[in-house]
Amino acid sequence: MLGYIFKRLLLALPTLLLVAVGVFLLIRLIPGDPALVLLGNDADAASLAGMRADLGLDRPLPVQFLTWVEHAVRGDLGRSIVSGEPVSTLILNHFAVTAVVVLVAVTLATLLAITAGLVAAWRQNSSLDLAVVGAATVVLALPSFWLGLVMLLLFGVKLGWLPFVGYVPFSESAAEAALFLVMPIATLTITESGVLTRMMRASSIDVLQLDYVTHARAKGLAESTVLTRHVFPNAFAPTLTLVGLTLGHLLGGVAVIETVFTLPGLGRLMVDSVLSRDYPVVQGCLLFTAVVYVVVNLVVDLCYPIFDPRVTAR
Amino acid sequence: MSSLAVCGALLSTCLPFRAHAEDGQPPRAPILRTRLNSDIVSTDPGTRRDENTDGVLLHIVEGLVGSREDGSVGPMLASHWTISPDGRVYTFALRPEVLFHNGAPLTAAEVVWSFQRYLKPETRWRCLDVFGPHGIARVLSVKALDPHTVEVTLDRPAPMFLTTLARADCGATGILHPDSVRADGSWVAPIGTGPFQLGEWRHNQFVQLKRFARYAALPGPRDGNVGGKHALVDELRFLVIPDSSAARAALVRGSLDVIDNLYPSDLMGIRGRKDLLFQSVPVLDCYSLLMQIKDPELRDVRIRTAIALTLDAPALTKAITGGTGTANNSPIPAASPFYHPVEARLRAVDVARARRLLEAAGYDGRPIKLVTSRRDPQMFDIAVVIQAMAARAGIHVQIDTVDWPAHLARYTTGDYQLMVESFSPRLDPALSFGLFIGDKRQEPRKTWDTPRSRELLEEAMRTADPAMRQTVFDQLTLDFLNEVPAVVLFNSARLSVVRAAVTGHQNWMSGQVRLWGVGLR
Repeated sequence: MLGYIFKRLLLALPTLLLVAVGVFLLIRLIPGDPALVLLGNDADAASLAGMRADLGLDRPLPVQFLTWVEHAVRGDLGRSIVSGEPVSTLILNHFAVTAVVVLVAVTLATLLAITAGLVAAWRQNSSLDLAVVGAATVVLALPSFWLGLVMLLLFGVKLGWLPFVGYVPFSESAAEAALFLVMPIATLTITESGVLTRMMRASSIDVLQLDYVTHARAKGLAESTVLTRHVFPNAFAPTLTLVGLTLGHLLGGVAVIETVFTLPGLGRLMVDSVLSRDYPVVQGCLLFTAVVYVVVNLVVDLCYPIFDPRVTAR
Repeated sequence: MSSLAVCGALLSTCLPFRAHAEDGQPPRAPILRTRLNSDIVSTDPGTRRDENTDGVLLHIVEGLVGSREDGSVGPMLASHWTISPDGRVYTFALRPEVLFHNGAPLTAAEVVWSFQRYLKPETRWRCLDVFGPHGIARVLSVKALDPHTVEVTLDRPAPMFLTTLARADCGATGILHPDSVRADGSWVAPIGTGPFQLGEWRHNQFVQLKRFARYAALPGPRDGNVGGKHALVDELRFLVIPDSSAARAALVRGSLDVIDNLYPSDLMGIRGRKDLLFQSVPVLDCYSLLMQIKDPELRDVRIRTAIALTLDAPALTKAITGGTGTANNSPIPAASPFYHPVEARLRAVDVARARRLLEAAGYDGRPIKLVTSRRDPQMFDIAVVIQAMAARAGIHVQIDTVDWPAHLARYTTGDYQLMVESFSPRLDPALSFGLFIGDKRQEPRKTWDTPRSRELLEEAMRTADPAMRQTVFDQLTLDFLNEVPAVVLFNSARLSVVRAAVTGHQNWMSGQVRLWGVGLR
């Protein structure tokens, strides 16, 4: 197992190097000048040149790249051009918010999807199945920003139950932070549950038609036992793959939801950094996202044997 | 017993306000929340900056002088000043009662230190070039004559000197305590003299300013950035909320007290609410269509004029601003005291003449690219309206929408044919013309580069007499309309919405956020 993990991590290195090169070049290909963003549209040429020199942007690109890689290998992702804060601190602070929202939301969405998908498959073509499929399709089609705004208007403005601006971190007040996160988590749970439910239902239908399920029923096992002990473990594997992909994708930042609910998450940090051409932060965020992807996929792969003993980690 | 308990509870809820009322000031609310649509860029005034940064920092720092509501210059940290007969030496008398946020008294030493810091190239002061070879004058020396008197000597007379010191984008040339920087000169935080001091800046979340209890306010009412500046709340909190829908919802909910600088489209859904107060004040900004006079196509004044003749400024203004803006073809904003009948002339739409001019210029329908962005939603809408209006004369305008940093880069390098641009308020008309006039070889962003326009602008900078300046501005306006280096379209209004409990909120034509003198019932 350890050998497998080591091999996977080793294989990730070329991927991360490619990401680093790609990110570094792509952000510089986008027109725009961080010095100009910092100094404003009336800055004179001398100030601009001076600011570029201050930021190290006057050096040749290969030199800038090698310097960045050299520091990144040592764990130093540089400092934000805009705020001057260490990029790694910025990323970790913002990732903490995103991680809470995403992990809780994906866990809830997965639980919801497993239950709804299994039940819908069990009662295929019934009105219950129709309701589940219909709801999942509607949820799938809902843009997250729209749902977020509707929740904000309903629970934030009309009912006044939940706060939605002025996020308070857990370190200051766990209760207030939790309240702030209810709506973003609920929004993300709903939007992500649609596709997971459909996947779970489809794979459960396939499994329910297999001989060993018929055999289990013939043995006189209760339907709940058949579903939980025989259908679920085999039907969950494809959904688990999707959960892994969803997690990797969402942990990179849920910019839209973070913007609607003014959460200081990784997605908003990345969007703000792109808009201010804060090169070190954009590079750091994307590299971090790539690492998260690699790690999440590895964890998901390591989880497969739990649900399907035929799969082994080698 | 229960009555006693109720009285005790009520008394305890009143305690914070009782304590605040003890110093003879009206009772203060603990916190006033307002919105920033994007985070500030730094806490170093006049250096790394944008409009939000300027507005927030002017609550913390003050200059020797400041801008009044009518655009003139008034005293701030200087109680008064004298100008030598040759117009080169300014002697400022400092107010003795002023304290910095760290408790140190304001003396001439800090003023000299602040000026010297601003004049160092490595500070990257926004207004350094104004005091450079191509600016209004060079600063030869800044001296402390005594602990409360400062003398600034220029190399030539510069009637715009005080106006420049007061400019918001120059950080009002805020006087800072030297402890604002480290020993190596790197920036720490502003230690100023304003009614509020910096509390906490949590990037992309909020900027917290705390009331400075020992602030020495000038007598009288507030007047622009000068006059009596009173902090009526214990804390100002500028919350960074990029999404305007979320900001409006927060205002309705009561999580925000003030939203400044709304676009007309943002009023949808909240207009008419009884618990909100709406305010619209004309400001000195300008929305313009810039033309690249070096472009092979637009070098021909006939094509530029033809484009201008298709643009119906009043209709465009109404469509874009919902009737809150003022159509204006002059670089001098409609709210300026220098906006006279010459400036108030609007170019009549004449599509037939535009077609004749295009034919004479040999325009064959080649696409002309119009660069715009969505940073300000009005800028994209303006581009769409211009495209439709120009099409009436057969002009094929293609819209090229880019993000703000790319827009900024293309503006600065002059990399465009047509560009929609909005300029923040300039309190002096010379500065408004200065947005367009300049040497394109040195400043490619300038659109108007003729010897006569530069000469007239320099004359406006050299002249102090308002009547003489008006004559120069009138001439510049007429030339601007004839030579069409750009088309000014309209001046907008600053739209604000505050909760009914907010008192004393009043915008002015500078368009910058101003929350001293603002309280909560």
